[in-house]
Amino acid sequence: MELKKTHIYAYHAEHGNMVDFGGYAMPVWYEGIIPEHNAVRNSCGMFDTSHMGRVWAEGPDVAKFLDYVVTNDLSGLNEGNGVYSVMCLPTGGIVDDLILYKMGPERFFVVYNAGNREKDFAWLKKNTKGFKVKLTDVSNKVAMIAVQGPKAVEVLGKLSDINVSEVPRFNIASLKVSGIDCLAARTGYTGEDGFEVFVLDCTLEQPEKALKVWNDLVAAGAKPCGLGARDSTRLEAGLWLYGNDIDESINPVEAGLRWVVKMKKPGYFIGKRALQKIIEEGVKKTLVGVMMEERGIPRHGYEILDGENPIGLVTSGGMSPTLDVGIAMGYVPPEYKELGREVNIRIRKSLVRGKVVKHRPFYDETKYGWKRDK
Amino acid sequence: MADEYKIEAGLYYTNEHEWAKPADGAVLVGIDDYAQSQLHEIVYVELPQVGAEVNQGEAIGAVESVKAVSDTYSPVSGKVVEVNEGLVDSPEKINSDPYGEGWIAKIEPSNLEANIAKLMDAEKYKQYLTTLKH
Repeated sequence: MELKKTHIYAYHAEHGNMVDFGGYAMPVWYEGIIPEHNAVRNSCGMFDTSHMGRVWAEGPDVAKFLDYVVTNDLSGLNEGNGVYSVMCLPTGGIVDDLILYKMGPERFFVVYNAGNREKDFAWLKKNTKGFKVKLTDVSNKVAMIAVQGPKAVEVLGKLSDINVSEVPRFNIASLKVSGIDCLAARTGYTGEDGFEVFVLDCTLEQPEKALKVWNDLVAAGAKPCGLGARDSTRLEAGLWLYGNDIDESINPVEAGLRWVVKMKKPGYFIGKRALQKIIEEGVKKTLVGVMMEERGIPRHGYEILDGENPIGLVTSGGMSPTLDVGIAMGYVPPEYKELGREVNIRIRKSLVRGKVVKHRPFYDETKYGWKRDK
Repeated sequence: MADEYKIEAGLYYTNEHEWAKPADGAVLVGIDDYAQSQLHEIVYVELPQVGAEVNQGEAIGAVESVKAVSDTYSPVSGKVVEVNEGLVDSPEKINSDPYGEGWIAKIEPSNLEANIAKLMDAEKYKQYLTTLKH
């Protein structure tokens, strides 16, 4: 089967080391994961995220409809505000995590994971029954570029017709980048300050606008980064990767996402009854961060042990280039979640010592990430 | 495309991209230029245990990049008599010098001739690389 391409494919094919990522031809790195990772942490990196799903939701019932399918509360949003949420099955299992932006009184912009594009659109569509709402998948008509790092404001600012530093975190604004109509949201998946830039009215067949924005950003000082650095930066930030850390068999209470489930919001939402029961009865496993105390790199699927007694599995793991130590996220019974608790990870034939740590983020927030001391 | 990779003459190669270099009654082993370039930016090496008895084809450790982990298989049978401790702090030596400073272990072989018969020389290995996708 031929791999799908994004708007920025022509650049990737020329400069990147390409892999098959969920059916998309994507760059895993250009120069290398470590220099790209460091650009995001110390300066400005840039990712093509056009493989993600983007949908316009419009109509008189749009707010009611979205509040019915997602767990977070959208009722307090003003125009330009965005919110992170999950949507759940009636069982409470997570269909996906996503960001929703209020763009007008009857208009939202919804962004979700690449791997779930077909599933999510079908799920949303199916649940519109009884609501006056229209959904339009524009994933192939809007490109998406994440500009991330402490210098993201400076770099994007060079090309923008608005003062991008004035866009509050989790807000979205209309602007021109290199004279091209875009939206810029103050969001990202790296833990750093930055933007997700949506290049409007740009089809896969005529990707020139997206390529111009991309190339101008490169010239302005954004270092192109591949999926390798995307994964290493999101892991250091302790952010959930759908398919690894969350999926339909995991509920948001287990995943440490209780804060996006608003049980008291008005009206029913899908999964509410199941989640009510889960909250009342408590969970059998919970997501924790683990930092290695000895040499060794934990990976997805490795066992977590209390001494020699298996208690759970690593869902995401790797080497943290910023901390120069192995880090992991994984599920353990709640009695093991206390910070500082010693656990072992089985790495091939050895048990390697680590401890439970705060994982969102793993790094020191005074030194790295969007909250860092200026 | 096989020309992209440095393949040293006089060494014996496995189809898992390890090399073996017989010298002074012992055999130095490591991973080759193809393997290091596929992994890119090596950040961690799990070395075998000195004194361990290993069989040809047996996993004796691993080499890891940020993204991926690759087991290392012993190209020969014998006893591990030395490991390259320098890789603990400088695993990137495997990237910069896979056949030299990036050696992984020294093995006292127990059945060298039979083992070598199952490995590829540089010419054969070059042919083998042309059959691979990357």
